[in-house]
Amino acid sequence: MQNDRLLAYFMILPVVAAVLAFVVGPTYNVGTLSLTQVVMGQERGFGTLGNFRALINDPVFLLVMKNTAIWIVGGTLACVSVGLAVGTFLAIDSKMTTGLRALILLPWVLPDVVTAMAWKWMLHGQVGIIGQTLTSTGLTDEPISFMGDPDLVMWMLVVVLVWRKMPLVALILCAAIRSVPDEQLEAARMDGATAFERFRFVVIPNIAFSLTAVTVISMIWITAEFALPWIMTGGGPANASQIMATYIYQQSFEFFNWGVASAMSVVNLVMLASIVGLYLYINRRSWASEGTR
Amino acid sequence: MNETSRTWYWTGLSLIGLVIALYVLFPIFWLFLASFKTQSELASLPVAFWPESLTLDAYKALFSPTHQKGQLLDWPQLIGNSFFIAITSTILVVFFGTLAGYAFARLNFPGRDLILGGLLISRMFQGAALLLPTYRLMNALGLQDSLIGLVLLYSAFGLPFATWIIASSLREIPRELEESAMMDGASRLQSMVMVVLPLATPALITAAMWHFVGAWSEFAFASILLESNDTKTVTIGLASFVELFTLEFQFVGAAATIVALPIMLIFFFGQRYFTRGLLAGAVKG
Repeated sequence: MQNDRLLAYFMILPVVAAVLAFVVGPTYNVGTLSLTQVVMGQERGFGTLGNFRALINDPVFLLVMKNTAIWIVGGTLACVSVGLAVGTFLAIDSKMTTGLRALILLPWVLPDVVTAMAWKWMLHGQVGIIGQTLTSTGLTDEPISFMGDPDLVMWMLVVVLVWRKMPLVALILCAAIRSVPDEQLEAARMDGATAFERFRFVVIPNIAFSLTAVTVISMIWITAEFALPWIMTGGGPANASQIMATYIYQQSFEFFNWGVASAMSVVNLVMLASIVGLYLYINRRSWASEGTR
Repeated sequence: MNETSRTWYWTGLSLIGLVIALYVLFPIFWLFLASFKTQSELASLPVAFWPESLTLDAYKALFSPTHQKGQLLDWPQLIGNSFFIAITSTILVVFFGTLAGYAFARLNFPGRDLILGGLLISRMFQGAALLLPTYRLMNALGLQDSLIGLVLLYSAFGLPFATWIIASSLREIPRELEESAMMDGASRLQSMVMVVLPLATPALITAAMWHFVGAWSEFAFASILLESNDTKTVTIGLASFVELFTLEFQFVGAAATIVALPIMLIFFFGQRYFTRGLLAGAVKG
C-alpha cells in the first residue's frame, strides 16, 4: 500500500505542478503586483494601495464597472432565459429536435475570433445584412450604426454573447426537463392543469437546481470571456464597451499601466472567486463526486 | 387532439425549429459565403446575397506570399503553427491526464478528493485577470514568442479537465477486470495499459477533442506572447483583419473559414464523443 501511495503521487505530479506553475503562481503574482508600485514595468517598492487608488480615480473606472454589470448580469439573464425557452422546445420528442440538439452546439465550439468576425460582418454599419434587412423592410429609415453607437454597442455584445453561450445552457436545461418524472406531468394533466401551469408548477420546481447551477456557471463563463468583446469592439467607441477584461488587456499591453492593470485583475479575481464560492455552496451536496468545466 | 389541431401543432413546431436552425447557422454561413464574393459584390448596396460565381480568389490571395491585404502573414505558416501547438499539447494532455486520471480513479492516497476538487476549481479562474502575470512569467522563463511556451501553457490549462474526464470514465470500469489480470501475474502498469486503457478509449478521444478545439481556438494568450511573424497562429492571423478598416470581407471570410474548418470537422464527425464530456461535465439535477 505504501507503494501505491508513492505511485499515485508520482502519477498526479505533472498535473499538480502544471496548475501550480501556470494558474496558482500567476494568481499569487498578480496579487503581489497589485500592491507594488510599478513604473513602466520596473517595480519600485511593495506595500502600497496606490494602484487601487489610481484605479478608482481613473475616469473610466465607473463606466467599466457599469458595462461589466451589463455584460455579466444582462448576459447571464439573457443566456438563461433564451436557453430555457430553447431548451424547453428541444425537450419535445421528435426527429427534428433530436437533430437540432446536435446542431445547436455549433456556435459553442466555434473559435471566439470566428464568431466575432461573423457578427462584425452582419452588424456592419453600411454593408451589414442585419441593418440592410431592417432598412429594406421599412423598420428603420436609415442604416443603424450598431457597433458605433455608444448606447447600443454594449447590448449588441450581449446579443452576440447569447448566440455563443446559450446553446450549452439550452442543452443542459433540455436534459433536466427530459428527466422530469412523467407520472407528475400526467397527474397534473388529470387534474386539468393547462400546459403553462404544468410548466410552471411541475417542470420548474423539478429543474430548479439545474436552473440555479447553470445560471452561476454562465456567470463564470461570461466573467472569463475576453476574446469576443475585444475583437468585436476593442472597448470602443470611446470606452463605451470597455469591460473589465478589455480594460485589463488595454492597460497591460497597450498603455503599460501594470499597477492599474493588476489592481483591476485582482478585482476581477475576487469577483470570480465569489461566484465560484456561490457555485460550490449550491453544489455542496454533490461536490464530493461532481465537477464541472 | 383532432386532425386539424395536430397539423397546426406540427407546423408550428417545425417553424420554431427552422427559426432556431437558421439562427444558429446563418452567421457562419454568411461569412463563409462572403469568401466567394468579389469586391464589387461586397461593396454594392445592398450586398449581393449569392455570389455570381464561386471565385476562389480570396483563398488564393491568402496563400500567395505577395499579397498585401493579408498583412504579409504567411497563412501556410500560421496553419502549421496552430496545428503544431494543438496536436503537441493534446498529446501531452492526454498522456499526463491518463496517468493522473488513473491515480484519482483507482488509487487511495491522502487528500485525493481535495486535490481533484482543487484542480477543477483552478480551471474556473481563467480569463483576462491572468494575462499580465502569465506574460511576466513567460518572459522570466524565456518562453515568450515561442511555440513551445504556448504548448506548455495550453497543456497546463487543459490538464485538469482532461484528468477529470478520464478519471470519471475509469471509475465506471469494473475493478474486477484489473484484479483478475493482476492475479494472473500482470503488474499494475501492465494491467492499466493492457486492460483498462482499451476500455477507456472513448474518454481519451473526448479529452483529446476538447483540448484540441480549445488549443486551436485560443486567442488571448497567443496574442500577448507571440510577436514575430513566424510564430503566429491562425486566430492571431484572423484577428489581424480587425485593424484593416476595409470592406474586403472576402479575405476575412476565407480566413475565418480556414480557422473554423478543423473545428467543424471534429464537431460533425466526433459528435458522439463531444457531447459525452459536455453533459458529464455539466450539472446534474
